[in-house]
Amino acid sequence: MHDGSGRIEVRQLSKNFGSVQAVANLSFTVEPGSVTGFLGPNGAGKTTTLRMILGLVTPSEGTATINGLPHDKLGHPARVVGSVLENEGFHPKRTARNHLKVYAAAIGVPDRRVEDVLAAVGLTEAGDRHAGGFSLGMRQRLALATALLGDPQVLVLDEPANGLDPEGIAWLRTFLRDFAKQGRTVLVSSHLLAEVEQTIDQVVIISHGQTMYYGQLDDLRNAQRPRVLVLPSNQDALSTALREEQISEIEPADNGRLAVMNTSARQVGDIALRAGVAIYGLEERHADLENLFFQLTSGQYAAAAPQQYGAPHGMPYGTQPSAPYGAPPGAPYEAPPGTPYGPPPGTPYGAPPHGGYGPPQDGWSQQGTVPQPQGQQPYQQDEGNTGWEGQR
Amino acid sequence: MGRSALMGKLVKAEFRKILSTKLWWGLLIVALLVAGSWAGMLSSVFDGIAAELSGSEVMRLAGLELDEISFSVVFLTRAINIATIFPMLFGGLAIASELGRKTITTSFLTAPNRTMLLGAKGITYAIWGAIYGIAIILAATLGIVIGTGGDHLVGFTTWLATAAAGVLSCVLWTLLGLGVGALIGSPVGTVIVLLVYGLALGPISDLVFTGFAEGDANVAGALPNGAANGLTGSTAADTLAAEIQANATGMSSVSSDLLEGFQDTARLAAGGLGSFGLFASAAIFLAWAMLFLALGLWRTQSRDIT
Ligand SMILES: Nc1ncnc2c1ncn2[C@@H]1O[C@H](COP(=O)(O)OP(=O)(O)OP(=O)(O)O)[C@@H](O)[C@H]1O
Ligand SMILES: [Mg+2]
Repeated sequence: MHDGSGRIEVRQLSKNFGSVQAVANLSFTVEPGSVTGFLGPNGAGKTTTLRMILGLVTPSEGTATINGLPHDKLGHPARVVGSVLENEGFHPKRTARNHLKVYAAAIGVPDRRVEDVLAAVGLTEAGDRHAGGFSLGMRQRLALATALLGDPQVLVLDEPANGLDPEGIAWLRTFLRDFAKQGRTVLVSSHLLAEVEQTIDQVVIISHGQTMYYGQLDDLRNAQRPRVLVLPSNQDALSTALREEQISEIEPADNGRLAVMNTSARQVGDIALRAGVAIYGLEERHADLENLFFQLTSGQYAAAAPQQYGAPHGMPYGTQPSAPYGAPPGAPYEAPPGTPYGPPPGTPYGAPPHGGYGPPQDGWSQQGTVPQPQGQQPYQQDEGNTGWEGQR
Repeated sequence: MGRSALMGKLVKAEFRKILSTKLWWGLLIVALLVAGSWAGMLSSVFDGIAAELSGSEVMRLAGLELDEISFSVVFLTRAINIATIFPMLFGGLAIASELGRKTITTSFLTAPNRTMLLGAKGITYAIWGAIYGIAIILAATLGIVIGTGGDHLVGFTTWLATAAAGVLSCVLWTLLGLGVGALIGSPVGTVIVLLVYGLALGPISDLVFTGFAEGDANVAGALPNGAANGLTGSTAADTLAAEIQANATGMSSVSSDLLEGFQDTARLAAGGLGSFGLFASAAIFLAWAMLFLALGLWRTQSRDIT
């Protein structure tokens, strides 16, 4: 029997796909009552790790447990953990409602639960449409509804914001925070720190299958030094002048800008004036987590890579020749601080014009959960209990 | 909660999966058409095929007329043998299409473990195999009634025995398909492999082996297709022989040598090439189905769902 702790434990986890090492000796613990972000660039091994936690992929080495047990020993796995995964499947000719009914039967929850979760994700109206005709965002909502069927204690989400409209993203953020506040566990992956920054308390940052940082987000924030972003008329002249003033931590940034550490906008402006370099843009940045995230996840190349001083215009900061893919120009580094949840560029999914599905209702909390007092509530679940009903 | 209660939930989920899409009746309609028209076509040329059997020594010695024996049962078995392709495909797609459409992810996540999910699929698809079997037999019977113009119907006992063998054959083909699908994993690959074996490789190899063996029991009867056809064919042959023995008027009893010879001929006519007899065929086919199920389970256990 599982221990009911709601804790996810990953111990020295490794996975090789043939010669590709997707995950290398990864260890971390996800505690209940908090939202943990699982971050890393494309191909870092996030999906593989989450799938090992869920028992879908067999680890080459190490263990991943939920409530102290591997997934296939949980007994009623869907009541312990719900998940939203990348390219999750729906039968294109099965309606959303029937899809949920199938898995409601498998989990052993009554069919009315299907209506609850459909309403919770705002798909009630679209419930009798075939999942094959759903937009990406609607499929994501259906996946979330499926995850919630068993009223699980733990949620594991792989890039859940993909395809969601801004309204959906805002709703998801509130939902996850509330979910964690009830003493439950949330592990959510993303390749954009900005996307989850306001949602998460803890963070696990991985790169190339290895842990780069694991701890409180606030600690990471506090560790970040202020930087000045400057767009000079002449990069070389300005950096020479800065170096003469013992300001030597200069890196190329995007759009022809320089990033200067351990200084202030004022100081940079003064030095530029003395050096006769025109300044077209000057900006001070504090606690730029996204930047730190970049350093953490691609820093391993920085030493080896040639200095990209005077790199071609628009070369994103932190892009190394040896990195498997360059970050798309301008994103996500460009995201101005304070708008972490802007829709990803090019996301075409708005609500369907005919209003095929409504906005997510706040009904989720009404339908299930008494407003929980602030702070953490220990989660308890009785065997055979369908979940939270017992506590409501 | 007990294991059987958990299994019950998974079986219910499998039924919902099947009934919420159209594959089950799409394949069923085609199976009915094939079974009905095949039985109807064969039996409309009844005389040609039946003459061979009725002209046999034993009929003459037993003093029996063609009408007194349920020869039409061979059309039933042949129609069953061809129509089993459809429950086989239905079983083949059980896991393969879930893998192809990635719905297997949620199926795995909502089941206690993979073995139980496969167990539930096995139970569900065995039941569906029986449903297909019953429907196929009814369609084939209707085909015979129409094809012979109601002149040469099958005696009830013979019909019932053959129908039971046919249902068992459909159940086992479905389970064998299930295992093959789980082993191969891709729906297209599974359908191709099953069709190539069921329509070409199986029947042709049965003919070839049986040709070499000059009609005796042979390796064909030990292969899945031969064993399956042997199961239905032997049932038909055995019940026909029993009918002859019971109705013999020309002599006190038909000699067992003669009867055996007749059974062999009847079995061939019923499509059971190279068969080792009813029980051996049933056991061999069951073993094949279980072997593929076990291989499918083994492959499913080790599959990474990425
Ligand atoms: N089935 C597979 N076969 C071979 N290699 C694989 C397989 N699945 C993943 N990989 C490899 O493992 C590595 C990690 O992939 P993974 O999908 O876990 O990354 P990720 O962090 O989820 O990336 P993304 O942000 O793009 O979703 C990649 O190099 C990928 O190519
Ligand atoms: Mg991924």
